[in-house]
Amino acid sequence: MSTIAAESQRTSSKDQVMGKDRDSPFFQGYLRSDGRVGVRNYLLILSTISLTNRWAELAAAGQENVVVITGDFLRGLRGEDAAGQEDVLAKLIDHPNVGATLILCFDRVSGKNWQDRQAGHKRPARILVLMDQAGMSGAVKKAQTTVSELDTLCRQATRSPQRLSSLTVALECGGSDATSAICANPAIGRFVERLVRAGGTAIISETAEFIGAEDVVRARAVSPMVANKALAFITAADQRTEEDGDRYRGVNPTRENIEAGLTTLIEKSMGAICKIGELAIDGCLEFAEQPSKTGLYFMDTPFFSPVSLTGMTAAGAQITLFALGVFNPSGNPLTPAIKMCGNGKTLSHWADSIDVSLDGLVDGAITLADAQEKVAKSVAEIASGKQSRAEFWGEGQIIIPKTTALI
Amino acid sequence: MKHVKQDLAKSTGRAHLIMHPQDNVTTLLDDLCDLTALIGGGSVSPGISFGHKAALEAISQGSSIIKYNVTIGHATQNIKAGEHVHVHNCR
Repeated sequence: MSTIAAESQRTSSKDQVMGKDRDSPFFQGYLRSDGRVGVRNYLLILSTISLTNRWAELAAAGQENVVVITGDFLRGLRGEDAAGQEDVLAKLIDHPNVGATLILCFDRVSGKNWQDRQAGHKRPARILVLMDQAGMSGAVKKAQTTVSELDTLCRQATRSPQRLSSLTVALECGGSDATSAICANPAIGRFVERLVRAGGTAIISETAEFIGAEDVVRARAVSPMVANKALAFITAADQRTEEDGDRYRGVNPTRENIEAGLTTLIEKSMGAICKIGELAIDGCLEFAEQPSKTGLYFMDTPFFSPVSLTGMTAAGAQITLFALGVFNPSGNPLTPAIKMCGNGKTLSHWADSIDVSLDGLVDGAITLADAQEKVAKSVAEIASGKQSRAEFWGEGQIIIPKTTALI
Repeated sequence: MKHVKQDLAKSTGRAHLIMHPQDNVTTLLDDLCDLTALIGGGSVSPGISFGHKAALEAISQGSSIIKYNVTIGHATQNIKAGEHVHVHNCR
């Protein structure tokens, strides 16, 4: 019988110093004036409200290197939701992967607000207000001209050698099946250990995925304070599922998870936590909150991947390590996702959508150390400019959770 | 985690992986659904898909289903050794 011996050593992420990773360049990136490093230099067209989504899409048509973000950004939000929406949009504009932004607003008050917010920002941005235009045709032409101007400015940024510690990596798993816990998640875990020990940052999220893994989370937290905060997130998520009774059966684990063999949420959680390897959790973050120090963080987010990826991107993640069992098409428009998979069927059917094959771990053809090397090589290449498959297909949406009903 | 290489030349049963020595289920890792033996010993019901679990021993109704050395659920009915363990008999 084949067995996996559970390792019980836990180390704080700060203890180990990886000399080579700390000093040598790991990838070629864009050093921004705020000290953060981008793996991309996207020209972002951001529609700040759904009313300007069509304008954004038409302005982007035919343009290269342009990323358009059109979400369900609303008026009529109440309480923290209004501030939360604006906060996330501001963080996307400031994201290190963005070289320049065209900010599209509907009304003049909003336009002035974004103008004021952008004052003093180093990276080029232009704000256009739809109500200042005369006709959609003219509005689209004006936006296209502005995009061309921004493009010229954007192209002035260049890549330079950057260290592994410049990376903040979002950790994600989708389409989880039995191979997720054997291949993709532990391979990611090994790389994340290396990244955080070298002074980098990683964020794990999707709070509901940890229901049932509370003892593990408690043991992994670097202090009782961090443990309590993480457990409070998990308890709140658990209470919400209990209040709704049996309605989550088939929602989490999802239908695809169940078809693939995952039976309970606890089983899924135990597999998911392999993504953090042997690391301690250094801190907790609210949705989209940016960490003030390096290390491994647990962010409170809903379990649906486009939403959790929105939160981790807004927090500054430049790249996502995305473990697959069966296929999952999630991503994020600003953060290239690197998809890795240990399920031979998925790798064969979805070869045009997956970056790293790890099925050698299923029969022991490769070791976890080999798998980490594969992951690291892919991260270095994609961080330095190679397009990931998710990026090629343009996967992902910006989705900001709402807590209250609209006016 | 430590992976142990399978000896594929002596493949007389289904490939599977026990995540922790204290587990009472194993996870099937091939498509050879007709085979009724596990590599290394033990019987397994036919028809269990890749990625699904089989009981390593008899598990009585109400007892813990153990994987990763934690209780992932409980048996909702008596389960025989080798039987498929999933949503129909584990919650």
